[in-house]
Amino acid sequence: MSDTSYNAFTDAQKLFDRAADLLDLDQATRDLLRTPQKEFHFSIPVRMDDGKVKIFQGYRVMHNDARGPAKGGIRFHPHETIDTVRALAMWMTWKTAVVDLPLGGGKGGVICDPHNLSPFEQERLCRGWIRQVYKNIGPHLDIPAPEVMTNAQHMLWMLDEYEVISGSRQPGVITGKPVGMGGSLGRAEATGYGVIISLREALKELGIDPSETTASVQGFGNVSQYAIELYQQMGGTVKCVSSWVQDEQNSYSVCKPEGINLEELRSVTDSFGGINISKAVKMGYKMIPGEDWLKQEVDILIPAAIENQITGNNVNDIHKKVKVIAEAANGPTSPEAAKVLDKKDIYTIPDFLANAGGVTCSYFEQVQSNMNYYWEKDEVLSKLDLKMTSAFISVSDFAKTNNLNMRDAAYIISVNRVSQACKDRGWV
Amino acid sequence: MSEKKPLDVLLGELKERAKELNCLYQVQELLNNSENTVDDICNGLVEVIPPGWQYPDICRAKIQLNSKTYASDDLVETKWELKSDIRIQGETVGQIYVYYEEEAPDMDEGPFLKDERKLINTIAERVGLHLLHQQLKNVFEKQNQADTEHKKEWEVILDMLRQTNPKLLIRLSRKMVNYLCWTGVKKAEELLERFGSAFHDEGELIDENKPFKKSSDSDLISLSYEIFEIAEDNLTLDKILNNIQKWTKEDRSGFLSKILENMGSSLQDINNAIERYHHLAPQMLELSEAREKGLRVAMIRRILTDQSDYIDIAKRFVDVNSFNELLNKIISPVGSHGKLGGKSAGLFLANQMIKKYTPEFESFAEVKIPKTWYITSDGLLNFMDYNNLEEVMEQKYKDIGQIRQEYPYVIQLFKSSTFPPAIIKGLLMALDDFGSVPLIIRSSSLLEDRIGMAFAGKYKSLFIANQGTKEERLVALMDAIAEVYASVFGPDPIDYRAENDLLDYHEEMGIMIQQVVGTKIGHYYLPSFAGVAFSQNEFRWSPRINRKDGLIRLVPGLGTRAVDRISNDYPILIAPGQPQLKVNVTVDEVIKYSPKYLDVINLQSGEFETVELEVLKQFGKEYPMIHQVVSRMKQDFLQLANPLTIDFQKDFLVVTFEGLVNRTKYVQQTKDMLEVLSKEYNNPVDIEFAHDGNNLYLLQCRTQSAGIEYKAAVIPSNVPIEKTLFSANKYISNGIVTDITHIVYVDPTKYSEVSDYETLKEIGKSVGRLNKILPKHQFILMGPGRWGSRGDIKLGVSVTYSEINNTSMLIEIARKTNEYTPDLSFGTHFFQDLVESNIRYLPLYPDDYGIIFNFKFLEESENLLTSFLPDMEKLKDVIRVIDVPASAGGQVLNVLMNGDSNKALAIFSDPTDYIDDEAKELQLGLRSGVIQEDVHWQWRLRNVEKLASQLDPQRFGVKGFYLFGSVKNAQAGPSSDIDILIHFVGTDAQRKDLSAWLEGWSLSLSQINFLRTGNKTEGLLDIHIVTDDDIKKRDSYAIKIGAVSDAARPLPMGTALKKNGLK
Repeated sequence: MSDTSYNAFTDAQKLFDRAADLLDLDQATRDLLRTPQKEFHFSIPVRMDDGKVKIFQGYRVMHNDARGPAKGGIRFHPHETIDTVRALAMWMTWKTAVVDLPLGGGKGGVICDPHNLSPFEQERLCRGWIRQVYKNIGPHLDIPAPEVMTNAQHMLWMLDEYEVISGSRQPGVITGKPVGMGGSLGRAEATGYGVIISLREALKELGIDPSETTASVQGFGNVSQYAIELYQQMGGTVKCVSSWVQDEQNSYSVCKPEGINLEELRSVTDSFGGINISKAVKMGYKMIPGEDWLKQEVDILIPAAIENQITGNNVNDIHKKVKVIAEAANGPTSPEAAKVLDKKDIYTIPDFLANAGGVTCSYFEQVQSNMNYYWEKDEVLSKLDLKMTSAFISVSDFAKTNNLNMRDAAYIISVNRVSQACKDRGWV
Repeated sequence: MSEKKPLDVLLGELKERAKELNCLYQVQELLNNSENTVDDICNGLVEVIPPGWQYPDICRAKIQLNSKTYASDDLVETKWELKSDIRIQGETVGQIYVYYEEEAPDMDEGPFLKDERKLINTIAERVGLHLLHQQLKNVFEKQNQADTEHKKEWEVILDMLRQTNPKLLIRLSRKMVNYLCWTGVKKAEELLERFGSAFHDEGELIDENKPFKKSSDSDLISLSYEIFEIAEDNLTLDKILNNIQKWTKEDRSGFLSKILENMGSSLQDINNAIERYHHLAPQMLELSEAREKGLRVAMIRRILTDQSDYIDIAKRFVDVNSFNELLNKIISPVGSHGKLGGKSAGLFLANQMIKKYTPEFESFAEVKIPKTWYITSDGLLNFMDYNNLEEVMEQKYKDIGQIRQEYPYVIQLFKSSTFPPAIIKGLLMALDDFGSVPLIIRSSSLLEDRIGMAFAGKYKSLFIANQGTKEERLVALMDAIAEVYASVFGPDPIDYRAENDLLDYHEEMGIMIQQVVGTKIGHYYLPSFAGVAFSQNEFRWSPRINRKDGLIRLVPGLGTRAVDRISNDYPILIAPGQPQLKVNVTVDEVIKYSPKYLDVINLQSGEFETVELEVLKQFGKEYPMIHQVVSRMKQDFLQLANPLTIDFQKDFLVVTFEGLVNRTKYVQQTKDMLEVLSKEYNNPVDIEFAHDGNNLYLLQCRTQSAGIEYKAAVIPSNVPIEKTLFSANKYISNGIVTDITHIVYVDPTKYSEVSDYETLKEIGKSVGRLNKILPKHQFILMGPGRWGSRGDIKLGVSVTYSEINNTSMLIEIARKTNEYTPDLSFGTHFFQDLVESNIRYLPLYPDDYGIIFNFKFLEESENLLTSFLPDMEKLKDVIRVIDVPASAGGQVLNVLMNGDSNKALAIFSDPTDYIDDEAKELQLGLRSGVIQEDVHWQWRLRNVEKLASQLDPQRFGVKGFYLFGSVKNAQAGPSSDIDILIHFVGTDAQRKDLSAWLEGWSLSLSQINFLRTGNKTEGLLDIHIVTDDDIKKRDSYAIKIGAVSDAARPLPMGTALKKNGLK
């Protein structure tokens, strides 16, 4: 690849540099935070099903652990590069800091395509990964979790290997475990609920009564469904939901002016959030083109599908009534569109903050695992509310004090917290 | 006809069998008692026979033997009589009669059962043998009494034979002469001449053109003694006696070979002969190896098929006894000379192979074939004859348009015709045998399934629920058979036959009536799982999978969903050689590409239906092996399900077949089966199968070359380098992609130089837009690394399946950088979508030694990107859109792939005359198979192509023929018309002529559409005629010609006329 090619780590560094300028960080702090604190590169020999041995390349990057043990996923990807892992590890540092979790940031991975590996080979690969980094991870050091092409099954294999080596039960070394095997309740709800908790706080600031608001939601997956659930509990009315229809390779929106019935729609929805449109129409919903979710006359837009949905091309289609956008998806707004939203004075809760419910719940899982005491769902969710609310208030206060938009404020407050911790520890 | 419960019928039948057995046993006792004289035996028989019959009270027996009559005193001879001859060495010496004194209900043969006919024949046979035995004993005793010292042992035998069976003596002598000649005895040759010209035996053919003088038997007998004199001089006594013994034994099976070899003998004759053979105790019939083989071949040829490739293989696996059971399940017209046809023959043979290998592979013991009845291939002609439908036979020589038009009437005609009584009787027997289980009626044509013929799915197969009263079931069965019969005269098969020069062959079609494998689950009937398996894998999703690892397409419910490609659902794919290498790895993928529907037979409505997996909520507990079929979603991973703990109401169940793969022997069983079958066929094979929870049933077996999947393309050598776009020699599967008019080339080097994320994203979006604009299935995508990469975008263009779904081929290019060649994705991100929509995948390694990659063509041809996407000027270095005919002097691109030699080649050639019609058809994915989702644009396109190919441009004054609108864009729905643009330059008269000609097509196409979809339209063609003037002014539809986007697509005219020499 040539030097001009796109590099995720370079991009992440540029973003950091901007924040560092605003915070006027000293050179040592910049140098420390621009690159990971530790990197492990190792070879993992795996005995394949046919008896041969294949060597896989594995990584674990710890970007920063000034605020607490590092936290971040393990990716299985055939074209994994160290720069991608570095960029993602850095991102984890900011992500844990924005919700003020006592955690740092890390990431790891293996260059492999699980499509070419049998489940047995994948198990040996997971165990092999642990054997290589056993000494460098731990419940109080660095805690992996599932990511691209890894799931709860991989986490259990890894946990088991770790426990075999340590000769003890250490459920806190890994998160993303199933309930009953060290997992936490409330994980399904966490991200969607987190979005609405932020929204509630935003409306409070804007002096709007949630029960008098209406919303339009893009996507009807897990996050969206739980967001709608909590929003409706607060008295809000969802008038429109869009959904991807697999059979037609197209998206549609379904609308009901008096508000959708969540349970009813769930009953005609597949596990990927695909609504059976014809059944929905029979239930009395109106079908409109997928992209029209954005044009609805509502107070709140919740993009909860995929990235890059609000762009320069359609940002002006947003109805003038819209006051708040809560970014439940990752990166739903393009930089160009974000500028327009600022100009239009539409209050945006950035993805970084709005969807931090997920990482917060992972933290709770780790805490519960370390105690070997597991909370009821209510307890998890009430603690989530507390965390998300205070995170929102600090970002919002920071934004007001420094005259920043919420997106910049969220990022800068994170960098600030991490650099402060480094300073307090006397590292820089 | 009265409807009885199956249990009653069964009990009744069993009672009859017991009675018959008891009768036979008593007959045997009479014969075995050496004290009994012939009179004793005959008198005894008259007593023991009646109790063996269905109505013993009114049954009486009579025996006529050597002009003596034996009967009970109260015998009354009536017209309800069953008679069988008693024969000794072929000579009739008496008869056994059975009478009913009163009228009894009509059965198979008057009031008598089929089994009673067998019983009386068996008794007569045994009596005959007993009498022969007695005679021989007498002769022996006489011989012993006479002075034997002066006679040689062979002489004693010859004497004996002269008295008892002179014909056998002559045949033995003949064999001895032959034998002596072969061993080089000069004197024998002389005798042979004398013997040969004189010898003539019943049924043996000598050259009919030469008159021959028939010698009397006595001449021949005296000759016999001469022959054996010579034998004595040349052979040891042991040898002579051994030969006599061997030949005598062989002679006993002579009746069977004679019947089989006589082309005049009917299927009934054969059936009787085999039955007779079967009834004779095996030790009495030792056959020489050659004779046995001869018999086997004759039987295969007469009963199954006369294809030599098939016979060659089958003769190693089939023996005479294996036909016995088969013959009892054959329904045929009176005096039938029909065969069973390809599909039946294939299944029969596969079953024999599996039986043979059962000792080696234990699990084969659980492989079965479903209960099947057969109608012979002449049943169709018999049916047409009976209903005076001969004129339909001429259908095949009519114009295809007319055939199309008339097809609906043919179906109606066939359905309202009646079946001949012999067939109805057979069908009733079959229905009794089946009981009320659902049935599938399949065609088994003599042309279909021939080695090297992809006739697959051309004829119909139909499911029937087979519920209700016997009359209702019979009517439904006959209706289905008539419909399958009518499909022989449908336009698709006739067209196919015409193209393959098969039209003049008499199409005879056998029918298989097969029990649908399955169980009743709620009011549905379905197998636990079913599918198709291929011994050769043409869809490798990982470089670690070899072609020989095979492929299974597995679904829950009826296998129709695995056989056909269905756009909105997916079968589970398993490579039996590497069952742990899954297509789908992440939980999301596994769920997305799992089967969500089941094909079932609804026993209440009697219909074939597709139901959602949701039915498990209601009936999951009843579903056999459900825990091997589904996995349970446990938070975010999938667990193997456990039969007791599945909560069908609450659990989120996903069809994965993980249990089946990991906890049962199914995969190994299938793998072994594929290996055995392909080894013995010496060809890759494909099989259809179903599992009812207890046994695996084989439903079909044939060689893969004749199958539905991909043919190996012939890779031409010596293609000039300038006519080649690329070559490849890694991970190649079989296939042909023809008539590519556009290439979208994402330059790997330029792509890697793009430095910002937004632009990379935009490249993906632009490909997606091109996918909507370019002519459907006529363009290919070529790009770096991993298409659809979700992780690191710089490794491959980020697209979703919907952004590439109209391409005909997806090509990944791996450029070497610093001695490192990246891994390609093999399309894993949407692999199953590619498979189901028939988009081919090909990896290219341009930097490998000896590989051709025509950079010049790709980089220097005119780039049309900005004419399609004017706003994407900035991407013109990265994305190149090439109009192939415009840049290659009117030629189009064809990609030829051959997995056997692991080679692929993309070459430019003139627009075809498809390289291979068959391949083209497969490429279109058009298979009028069982019951499948109709893809409306495909058959419309095919017919329009045909129309154009038959349009004579000179006759009608047509300069150009174009297709546009929904058919061209592959968006046609069930009621869409076909938009055609004709560039007309002729006279008014020509225009009238043209309109009339097109009108005929239009109406017949609309009729076909009605048959397919039930949509009635006034003609299906929407014709727009434009003139030179319109084109000049770019008026109305004329702008479609050569338009930048959504241009009308020109179709070649008159090609069929040229091909047929009409032009």
